[in-house]
Amino acid sequence: MIYLNAFLLSGIVCAIGQIILENTKLTPGHLNAILVVIGALLSFFGVYEILVSFAGAGATVPITNFGHLLFTGAYEGFKQDGITGLLSNIFSTSSGGVTVTIVMAFLVSLFAKPKN
Amino acid sequence: MKLKEYEKIVDKYSKKENKIKNIIIAFLSGGLLGLLGEGFVKFLETAFYMGDKEAYMYLMILLVIISSILTGFGIFDKIVSFCKCGLIIPTTGFSHAMTAAAMDHHSEGFIKGIGSNIFKLTGSVILYGIVAAFFLALLKGVIM
Repeated sequence: MIYLNAFLLSGIVCAIGQIILENTKLTPGHLNAILVVIGALLSFFGVYEILVSFAGAGATVPITNFGHLLFTGAYEGFKQDGITGLLSNIFSTSSGGVTVTIVMAFLVSLFAKPKN
Repeated sequence: MKLKEYEKIVDKYSKKENKIKNIIIAFLSGGLLGLLGEGFVKFLETAFYMGDKEAYMYLMILLVIISSILTGFGIFDKIVSFCKCGLIIPTTGFSHAMTAAAMDHHSEGFIKGIGSNIFKLTGSVILYGIVAAFFLALLKGVIM
């Protein structure tokens, strides 16, 4: 059942993005920034964790998950250590993905040439 | 005159159909990615006894690596031009944008080229993500 939920949630988020792109003048860059903030907001209201337990990877594959990870890291840190914890833990849950993204982008750019 | 009117009507309807087609393709491809991702997470959890959070992190890493390499070979652009938001909204789009920016400015050198342009497209995601998470977490921490 969770597979169906994952399919539906991830698909719906992508479809909403496509609807916004088709009907407004926003670029994918705008869209991703908006979705990250929406992810952080949903996490703020405690909705995102319910979505993750309901749809699994359907909620963690879209870019909204990045906002959720940043928020949970920061909030968990604040609960433990106050402002010090917030500042040192804001990346604690998302650093794996971001690190690999940056390293891979650098490595690929060393060997690959743009096609046009 | 009549022919022109006819063409206008055809143009209007064909565009509309294209939009709907794009939305359906985005839905299907994005959903498929979520479905495969869930399969990968379940595989990690049963084969390596990973916790939820670890498994989701490795899923993100897998998506990033695949899309980065495909971008390097120039394959990703072709798939994106077909799937559109189905691959832009997932983490693959984030990785694609970063790799593409780094590749495009490689010829300008390591510092002024790759170094100052690698976050050109994804900088907004990181900036607004951190700013939003910082203030929201501070707010929730103070209120609760």
